[in-house]
Parts: sequence; C-alpha cells; structure tokens
Amino acid sequence: MASGPLRVVCFVNQFFGQLGGEEKAGVGPQVTDGAVGAARAVQQVLGEAGTVVATVICGDNYTAEQGERAVAELLALVAAARPDLVIAGPAFLAGRYGVACGALCAAVQAKLKIPAVTGMQAENPGVDLYRRQVYIVQTGAEATRMLAEVKRLIALGLKLARGEAIGAPAVEGYFARGVTRNVVTGATAADRATAMLLDKLAGRPFASEVPRPAFPSVPAPRLVKTLEGATIALVTDGGLVPRGNPDGIEALNATRYGAYSIEGKAGLEAAQYDNPHRGYDTSWVKQDPHRLVPVDVARDLEQSGAIGKLHETVYSTVGVATTLAHSARMGQEIAEKLRAAGVDAVILTST
Amino acid sequence: MAVAPRSPRLARRGVLTVESGGASSSGRVGRLYYRAMRLELRWSEVDELVAGSSTRLAGRRLEVDLDALSRLLARDARLRGIRLDLVHPGERCRIGRVFDVVAPRARLDGEDFPGVLGGVARAGHGTTLALAGVAVVATDQQTDSVGTLAVIDMAGPNAALSAFGATENLVISAWPAPGAERSDYLAAVRLAALKAAVHLARAAREAEPDRVEVFALPPSPRVPAELAHLPRVAYVFQIHSHQRPTGLDEGILYGDPVRRMLPTLVHPNEVLDGAVLRGFMGRSVTTWATQNHPVIRALYAQHGRTLWFAGVVVTVAQATEPERVRSAFLTAGIVAHTLGADGAVLTKIGGGAPHVDMAQAAAQCEALGVKTTLLVEDMSTDGSAEGMLLFDFPGVDALVNVGSSHEPLTLPPMDRVVGADDLAPGLQGETRATYGTLCGAIEQIGATRVMAEVR
Repeated sequence: MASGPLRVVCFVNQFFGQLGGEEKAGVGPQVTDGAVGAARAVQQVLGEAGTVVATVICGDNYTAEQGERAVAELLALVAAARPDLVIAGPAFLAGRYGVACGALCAAVQAKLKIPAVTGMQAENPGVDLYRRQVYIVQTGAEATRMLAEVKRLIALGLKLARGEAIGAPAVEGYFARGVTRNVVTGATAADRATAMLLDKLAGRPFASEVPRPAFPSVPAPRLVKTLEGATIALVTDGGLVPRGNPDGIEALNATRYGAYSIEGKAGLEAAQYDNPHRGYDTSWVKQDPHRLVPVDVARDLEQSGAIGKLHETVYSTVGVATTLAHSARMGQEIAEKLRAAGVDAVILTST
Repeated sequence: MAVAPRSPRLARRGVLTVESGGASSSGRVGRLYYRAMRLELRWSEVDELVAGSSTRLAGRRLEVDLDALSRLLARDARLRGIRLDLVHPGERCRIGRVFDVVAPRARLDGEDFPGVLGGVARAGHGTTLALAGVAVVATDQQTDSVGTLAVIDMAGPNAALSAFGATENLVISAWPAPGAERSDYLAAVRLAALKAAVHLARAAREAEPDRVEVFALPPSPRVPAELAHLPRVAYVFQIHSHQRPTGLDEGILYGDPVRRMLPTLVHPNEVLDGAVLRGFMGRSVTTWATQNHPVIRALYAQHGRTLWFAGVVVTVAQATEPERVRSAFLTAGIVAHTLGADGAVLTKIGGGAPHVDMAQAAAQCEALGVKTTLLVEDMSTDGSAEGMLLFDFPGVDALVNVGSSHEPLTLPPMDRVVGADDLAPGLQGETRATYGTLCGAIEQIGATRVMAEVR
C-alpha cells in the first residue's frame, strides 16, 4: 500500500497531450516526463498528495486500429514509470479515447496490479465496455469543467491507491460496476419498503434498490416445418439425472448439464433415474420421471405420426440459483448441439 | 391523535403506554357499534440472564430454574435429552446450527401459540407478557440428516449484524429419541422452544411492565371520515413455501400445516401474538421476527398518520403454475376488491420459486391498480447485479432488498461453541461462511438492516 506522495502516471490522447488534432490521431505511444497537457490539471489537483511522474500519450486512431498491441505498448511505458496510481483521461464523450482509457486501465489493474481510474460521459462506448472492470467517473460531454471533474477522479484514485473503502456509485460519482455488496443501512428493510410505497402512492420519485433485469426477452422462433415432419427434443432444467448422477450436476447453482440417451426406450423407468434439484419438492418426479420429462407421451406422438421424430438425447440441468452467465452458456451449448443434430423444435420443461 | 383506552390500573401507576398509530380503535359508525382487536404487549426489559433456584424476574435480572425447565422440556417422547445453555452478548461464543429463535411471550387471557402449544383459539386480542432483550434459541442436534448451518455470534463484527447477537439467549439443545423421524424431531424441538418462551415470559406476571404497547386496528372498512383520505395499505405475507412439503406436526397458521391453504385474511395482531410460526425450512426467517413482525410494525407506526392499515393476507408459495396463478389472482382480489387497498407490501419466504410467486401476486395487484413494494433477497449467486432479480413484471418496480445471503463472510475464532456439538471443534476456529449462515442477518420479512448495494 502506497504511503506519502504518490507516483502518478497519466494517459492522454494526442489532443489532450497537445500533439495536435485529428491530423495527429495516428501517432503511436510515447512518454514524456512530468505532466503534459491535460495531465497538468491532474498535477494541480494532486497538490502535495502526489506527483505526475510521466504522461503517456497516444493517438486515437493508433489505439483504435492497433487494439491489443497498442494496449501492450502503452502498458510497457506505464510500467517503466513505476506508478502507484494511473489516471486515464478523462475522455468525456470522445469514443476512441474512452475505449483506450478503459482498455488501458483494465490492463494496468490486471497485469500490473496498480489501481487505475478514468472518467467519461455516460454515452461514451468505453463506459459499457469497461464499467465492470474499471472505476469510471461520470463526467460531462466536453472538457468545460475539466478541473472539477479531475478532482473527483483524483479523490477516487487516492482512495484506491491508499486502500481505503470505496463508497456507493452515487456517493463517489462512478458508474456502477454491476456487482453487489452487502452494506448496513440506517433503516430496516420493512421501514424502507413502507416509505417507498408511500412515495409510489403519492406519485413521488422513489429509488428501487434492485435494478430491473438487463437480460432481453427472447421471442420464440417460428417452426418452419409441420410437426409431422419435425424432430423434437426434450430439454429440462428440472434436474432429471440417471441414478448416481454420473455428471455430478450440482443440486444448486449448477454449472453442468447432462446429455442422456433415450434410444430404444419407450419411457423412463423410475428406478433408473434420480433428481438432485434442491429448488422444489422432487418426490413426485422421482416417483414418475415423466411428470418432468414426458418421454412416454412423446413416443406415442412419434408412433402415431403426430411428430416426425423424437430426438434420442435428453438434455438436463438443475435450474435453481444458477447464475445468468452459466445459464446462458449452457443454453447456448445445448442449442448448438441440438441444431447440429438436426433438431427442429424443443419442449423445455421447467419447474 | 385519538388514544385507545388504557388500562386504568397501569395509567394510575404512571406506566408509559405506547399507542401504535394515530387512529381511534373503537367507535360507532351509523347504528353499528364495533370493537377493535386490541393487543396489549406488556414489555419487561431484561439485561441479565442467570441460573437460579426458581424462574423469576428480579428487576431486570431474569433468573431461570434450569433443572425445572429441563424437566418440563424433556417430557416429550420424541426427545432423548435436553441441555440448556445461557449465552450472553459480548461473550466470545458462537451458537451453532440454529433451528429457530422464539421471543418469550405469555398470554394472560388466552392460549399460548394456539394450535401448536395451546389449544386452537384466536390470538391477537387481550394482554400478553413480553420480555425484551431475551431470546430462546433452538438448535438442531440431529447429525444424520442436518439442515443448513445457521449460527449466531455473540461477539466480534458479526454480532452487530443480527438482533440475536445483542440478546441474552437461552439456548436449547435437544437430541432425538431413537427412531424419531426428522420431522418429528423438529416438531419436538420447536415445541420445546415455545414452552421455554412461555416459561420465561410468565416470570413477568407480577412485574410492573417497563412499557405497554397497544396494537389496535378496527375492522378494515371502518375508517373515520376525517381519515378517509389516507391511502389504504395491505400487507401480503407469504408464510410458507411448498418447495418443501410440511410435516403433519409442522403447524404454521394456528397449528395448520397450510398444505392446501389459499390466500387468507388475518388481523395483524394475530401474527404478532403467536398465530403464525415459521415452518421447519427456515431459510433466513425466524419465528422471533414474525412475533415482532417488522412490516406489520412499520404499517402500524404509520396507521392513521400517513396510511390506513387495511389488513394482512397470508399466502403460501405454490409448487405448480396453476396453483401459483390461482393464488396470485386470489391474493390480488382480496387486496383490491375486499380490502379496497391502494397499496400493498409483499414479502416472501424460502428461495427462488417463492420470490417469483410473490412477484406474480404483485403483478396481479398492479394490474388491478394496487401499487406495490416488494422485499426481495439479492438472488444472484455470483455477486453480479444482473442476477439479483428472477422476474420482470410491468409495474413491479419498487423493490427493497434484504441483502445477499451468498456473499462470503468470515466467522472469527470464538472461545466456545454452543449447539451443533458435532461441529464444535471446527466451528470454534475461524470459519468461512456466508451472510446466509448468520441467523438474523438476512431476515426476509424485513427486520434486517443489511442491504445489497449495486456498486
């Protein structure tokens, strides 16, 4: 943990590094001792708390076109200056600049283990790309209030460099990184809910404590064939597994799914199956697995010609407390396998 | 502000009387006279819990005859042995595998915990003795089929996160008789805790209460003209989740195991006075919190001032979609059409399915024009804000959260462990756990001050 005056390295683009405008946007990474251009505002705000030991400058087009190579070159220049803290930008609404600031801060944190802060306007594409990894202070669209905004960047940067606790996004002025952390509040949840309801009833603004889910709703695709010619697969997140749970599918927070053959089976023999799902009362589906995965009825439909064919593999996982990331990955993998096998439609049974 | 009738005896003695809400509790509308449900909680403060030769309250010191109480609790064929421990705030002690926590209460003119301990009879009207600063903690000592770990820390940083880190605790350890089924054992342990809670509270029978709290709410439609402008607010209280079927002796509403329960209207006083007990799968909720129900208290506190408390609907989280839909619209119908509520607060119990069940009921309320706020847990299991919520219904946009039970937490080393004897050596040292492990830190019905903040 740094103590005493900090060694700070600034990153700016060709414009804020005073090399020139768009005509200099192709300039590659370079470093100058001390504070140059916009970095002088950083030094002014830092005062005796730190010294801008170097300013790393790079053209917007160079970072945009060279991508990872540019980041690696910039990272080497930053590392050579041995900083305790890196301040990138602020980039305001400048898109290429914002993305470069985000990418460099993320790399500095991950590879050099040095805290880094940048600043942008909400619409800057760098915000969405890097807010999860990097503290991005919210700024205006233009550099009209540079000094005031740099002050907020530095305040947050100093806390990070000194290992101090970081407050809520609204307090510190950074874009929420989308991670949750338990904090202790002044009022109980019951009191807050009552107050929120009174605000809602009176038409006053209120701040929900949980963001609405970000995942989009997915419209069901149209079946392009008639059912009589279609191959149908059965997929479930209700936890059907062969006895012994050979894939070790977790009872909660699953990361795995199984592919189980029903070839040659007219139905599912209860004795051959089990169910580790911890999110519902599984006694009925253990008694008769068809209550979860209707192989019996599907075979009847296959034989009567109502559907073309029943796919011979059932995919199954446990859908309880499963993370969005694992759900999306498993869904994608299962869908790819089904498509490769020529499956036209899926009956997805949940619980 | 109108004041409900006080006990003249108490008024004469100069006892502080706390009236909940500003509205009058009884009165006359047209030609009909009616009488409000009126619950008087006579609180005695306790700041010392010691063993004694008889169970009595001496000032603020509660002396407990542990032998007599043990003998009383041991009279249950489903149990093989009883051990009682006294545990104090600030002591470097961890209570292990907490099953439930019960607040000491004893009714002066009715049945205690009716339908489970006492006979089936109405609760919520009359006088009940209550001890503040003491809790009865029942632990789970069955080791062949253990429940999830819940602990109470009496010292260290975690003590402040739970109400039970600050109470004097009588800890019950009971062991199952040979052949006792899991459900029988848990029913017996809970019964022991209820008996102990009554036994302790009865010690205050002769005592001068430190304060008297009155909960009086007239029948829902009886709104005095001068308060008719207040928004009417209902509370929808999910009391069980059918994710796990109840046992025969798992009485939850007046002793009923709520297996086929449809949404039911109750008076809030019934909840405060022992009519509703927590089921055996007590994930992040305790009977103690139900007896001191924070949402009911919050609505009472505002009743007659900023809102009119229109009533409580108890529901269960259903296991299948048709049951969920049926329960959701019945709930919304009671809230909107019978109670005539403008707003409703909803809470859930259990995990993800009840979370969605509650939201479906809220969505049906919103569809009928009833504004809602919901108390939700942060459902994310990886700390990402995207996973906090498992639903997205129109209008269900006012959400308060009671924190993430998945967030890691360190349990620091302690000097002794009470309860969970099988885990005692390990549990005494530093242990990695989660907020969900800490009994009382995440109370789904809103007692908690822990909140998951998006960062």
